[in-house]
Amino acid sequence: MNAIIALSLSGIASLFLGFSTNRKNLLITTLLFVLVALGLNLADWNHEYFWFNNMLKTDNLSINFSSVILLSTALVVAISRSFGDDEEHTHPAEYYAIMLFAAAGALMMVTYENMIMLFVGLEILSVSMYILTGSDKRNLRSNEAALKYFLMGAFATGILLFGVALVYGATGSFNIHGIGEVVSRTKKGMELFEGGVILYAGIILIFIGLLFKVSAAPFHFWTPDVYEGAPTIFTTFMSTVVKTAGVAAMYRLLSISFPAVYGLWGNPLVWITCLTLIVGNITAVYQQSFKRMLAYSSISHAGYLLITILAKTPNTNGSILFYSLAYSIATISAFAVLMIVSENKPKDGKPDESFEALNGLSVNNPFLAFVLTVSMLSLAGIPLTAGFFGKFFIFTDAFSNVSPLFKNILVVAILMSAVGVYYYFKPIIAVYMKKGEIAEIQLPLIYKITLIITTALTIILGIAPDLVKNMF
Amino acid sequence: MMPILSILIFLPLIFALVIAVLPQHYTTYFKWITLGVTGVELVLCSYLYFSFDKTALSYQFQEQLDWITLPLGALGVGSIDYLLGIDGISLPMVLLAGIVMFVGAISSFEIKDKQRGYFGLYLLLTGSVIGCFVALDMFLFYLFFEFMLLPMYFLIGIWGGPRKEYASIKFFIYTLVGSLFILLVMIGLYLSVIDPVETAVQMGLIMDKSQVTPELITQIQQLLAEGKILPEQLVHTFDLRFMADAANFVGDSWLHKAAEVAMGDFSIRAIAFLLLIAGFAIKLPAIPVHTWLPDAHVEAPTPVSVVLAGILLKIGGYGFLRIAYPIFPEQATHYASLIACIGAVSIVYGAYNALAMKDLKKMIAYSSVSHMGFVMLGVASITSQGVNGAVYQMFSHGILSAMLFLLVGVLYSRTHDRQIDSYQGLASKMPVYTGFVALTFFASLGLPAFSGFIGEFFTLAGAFNTPLLPKWITVLGAFGIVLGAGYFLWTLQRMFFGNFWSKYELSLLPDLNVREKIMLFPLAILAIAFGIFPQLLLDVTNETVSQFLTLFV
Amino acid sequence: MNYQPSDYLPIIVQLGAALAFIVLTMVATHWLGPKRHSSKKDDVFECGIESIGDARTPISVKYFLVAILFVLFDVEIVFMYPWAVNFKELAWDGFVEMVVFMSFLLLGFIYVIKKGVLKWEK
Repeated sequence: MNAIIALSLSGIASLFLGFSTNRKNLLITTLLFVLVALGLNLADWNHEYFWFNNMLKTDNLSINFSSVILLSTALVVAISRSFGDDEEHTHPAEYYAIMLFAAAGALMMVTYENMIMLFVGLEILSVSMYILTGSDKRNLRSNEAALKYFLMGAFATGILLFGVALVYGATGSFNIHGIGEVVSRTKKGMELFEGGVILYAGIILIFIGLLFKVSAAPFHFWTPDVYEGAPTIFTTFMSTVVKTAGVAAMYRLLSISFPAVYGLWGNPLVWITCLTLIVGNITAVYQQSFKRMLAYSSISHAGYLLITILAKTPNTNGSILFYSLAYSIATISAFAVLMIVSENKPKDGKPDESFEALNGLSVNNPFLAFVLTVSMLSLAGIPLTAGFFGKFFIFTDAFSNVSPLFKNILVVAILMSAVGVYYYFKPIIAVYMKKGEIAEIQLPLIYKITLIITTALTIILGIAPDLVKNMF
Repeated sequence: MMPILSILIFLPLIFALVIAVLPQHYTTYFKWITLGVTGVELVLCSYLYFSFDKTALSYQFQEQLDWITLPLGALGVGSIDYLLGIDGISLPMVLLAGIVMFVGAISSFEIKDKQRGYFGLYLLLTGSVIGCFVALDMFLFYLFFEFMLLPMYFLIGIWGGPRKEYASIKFFIYTLVGSLFILLVMIGLYLSVIDPVETAVQMGLIMDKSQVTPELITQIQQLLAEGKILPEQLVHTFDLRFMADAANFVGDSWLHKAAEVAMGDFSIRAIAFLLLIAGFAIKLPAIPVHTWLPDAHVEAPTPVSVVLAGILLKIGGYGFLRIAYPIFPEQATHYASLIACIGAVSIVYGAYNALAMKDLKKMIAYSSVSHMGFVMLGVASITSQGVNGAVYQMFSHGILSAMLFLLVGVLYSRTHDRQIDSYQGLASKMPVYTGFVALTFFASLGLPAFSGFIGEFFTLAGAFNTPLLPKWITVLGAFGIVLGAGYFLWTLQRMFFGNFWSKYELSLLPDLNVREKIMLFPLAILAIAFGIFPQLLLDVTNETVSQFLTLFV
Repeated sequence: MNYQPSDYLPIIVQLGAALAFIVLTMVATHWLGPKRHSSKKDDVFECGIESIGDARTPISVKYFLVAILFVLFDVEIVFMYPWAVNFKELAWDGFVEMVVFMSFLLLGFIYVIKKGVLKWEK
């Protein structure tokens, strides 16, 4: 997995570059590092390798997930120009380095073959995120968010680790394929299988740890506060890279190690999925802050992703990937516009992140308004955007699973999609229908390019999804 | 041959883009571009009407392109086609769309602010509405069906009245819930239905699609029924032509006729059918999911109201005939009374509400609910008269409601007041206007020699003649006509006859200008022409409808 | 390798004993110890000196930095013990890996120095 090595080394390199070069060059070099990692990652296409004494395993699925993660990272880095504008209190080189390390951790989470690597990757990613969340040092909300995230995240990782230990105790293996073999071999006499209870407890504990990371209800309580407190650029990173990595890790584990005991984890997951969808969507309706609304929306999207993990059809690979990609690019667009507008129009010296901040954006900034609209439509799942096909694939998966449990999920998912439209249209209403004064905002070139890329991708994938879907 | 249906869809879309990128100082030309494009559309639609083969049984002007192909792993392959075609049911709708969009474009000349956005969205709406009527692939239909909400949402939300935000989001969410129901059923159908032609190719029986013969299709269907085709070789499709044939359903799929899956007392097929009906009934709109309509109409600017009442509502009725009924014929027969009952209640309830309205536009909005109830009643009867009448009623209501909303717009543009109480005795001061109003009201309430009469008469005749429906439902529906006469005539009397009185100065109330006459006159001619020569339309629909009815034996 | 759940019994006993000891000692001291309250007794520091100001005096962050860096580099030494024990078996592979590991540490150290963290007076 050369990409992980490349990312780690370039993270260190970027630390040292901070001594010699300015911020603009740092952005470009970091972007370059990520793209190099993306290239290295794609170089392994169609080769199934074991790496580092069977610690990691690359296959096409993991390469696809890595690509989505690296693409999101690249896009987030590209819009990172503004963080910590006052020179005295900021350390751009360090933040870029931490982002690169976080991406390396995320890559480990999608390529792990050994449970230890899952834990290591998760820790690298999480610890990086704790720091980035608190990076706005003078902002009390940011501090609060970081502490909250750290405390709860540490608990979650601890629980995950305990789960890993129990599963090891029950099966005698850290290797996910090894665990899968033991589990399916002993599945027939589940009651007689002596480690049954321990295995069950272990799976549930691992689950809790991972569900926390993807912010599924009822493990979502940190999400809105942390998303709101963290600087917007890192919120973007969190809601795309971390979520994709978490979902991919979960899917890898469940599809390789525990398909034989579907009944054990499937039933609770159905309820968790329904709860996640309901909590995410309904609570999002009541938000006054755009950023907080996006936080709840990210919870609800975790719910949709869980549906297809549950559905367990041959298409699940493609569906998760497509959905993650569609969700990531739309989310990056949305957060980018929020960041640009809110920093342009501070309220009491802080970025104004309420819906009102967007009022009348379309008058002088039609481009930003259009980008925001497309991203909202995609998140809401309106046709001719990538988000629609994402939902379409997920519903198709849910349908092709004949288990009666899925009727409940489908009903909930459909109703919640309708609820989703209501709050996703709030920013659109603010942008086009409310009156407000926003002067023309000058966008740096790299922002423009990024937003054009995300918007164009959203629309292209909404017209011809098979371009990408068939690759997955 | 010219891909005329594609031109109909993409011409407006292309010009919408053109309007979006033209520099600012061309703003004055936007309305002329829109008028020109809709004019060409109207010409093309009339061409379709005149060159349509009235005796042919299959779809005409067909176009087919492969669009999206998805491997489904063990479930075979999924294929979404770009498939267009029209028959006797869709042709009147396409023609109607051509007429109404053109008239709407003339009416749009009164829009003064943010013209770029308005005319761009208007053209977008035109393209997607027509796309909806000519799509034969369910996925394509759904795409247009849902995409059309967007321009409509913005047209109401940006150029609308004081409560535009509420009205537009209400419109959007109601319809979206409906379309999510349809999406669910669509996915279920997609996983259940195969394309026998593509499957034959996949199995290697023929090399490409041109070699297909009817015998081969029968052979494939035979194999499918016996379960002898490998799942990997099945090509799942959204093609409505194949969905309408029960032989194309995979044996162990959810929606196969013999499927045992059930939720509670309902079979899955019944649920699917009812979901479709609910989805389209919201669009229609039928009681009790009609409440978005008055709000949307009251807030929408005149041309948008015209389009909304003139065409968008028809997509609901069209969906019944194109999707819900042919695919689930046995459910349609089973639930005939339920649907007819909803239709009849819509007729009466809409009419009662119209009677009570003080706002002229709201009254007309409720009259739309009432008139679309006839469509449901006619369709539910599943008789030749009923279904022909339903199509006729949709066409006729499209023209008449467009006129009605234009007439309200005339008054509104002068005084910005639509209250019935604010006017009295307008006939003496605005004679031409009053003439048009009287004509339209009489046509709408179903006076013979106007198009409204034919539609209502046929639907009621069909509903009386069918053994599926109890008579009282039809009687209830017929009672709606009486109420209809009531509210139209009462309004006419209150507003137009008697001595002139108005809250506004007379100088504010000039008679119709040239542009308004140009809009109204052709529509009036059409309303009369289709009232006197019903065969103009019935000839077109009749063959298709009789073929449609063979599904229900 | 065929454990029964009952084989874990000693662990539970141990756990119980540990917990019981804690509870016992805490409760016992609470009951046995004499309690005398006075204004002097309840003072923060009982050394006879009047306490002045807030107990939470800010301490320079430099202490923490040095302390945490010490812990960081100190802990890494732990890895060298197993390496030393298995030095022969690991041979050159082990050596190379250790060199890589140490060079990473060194890079970190250089970074710390260049960042000026260890400069006490700045």
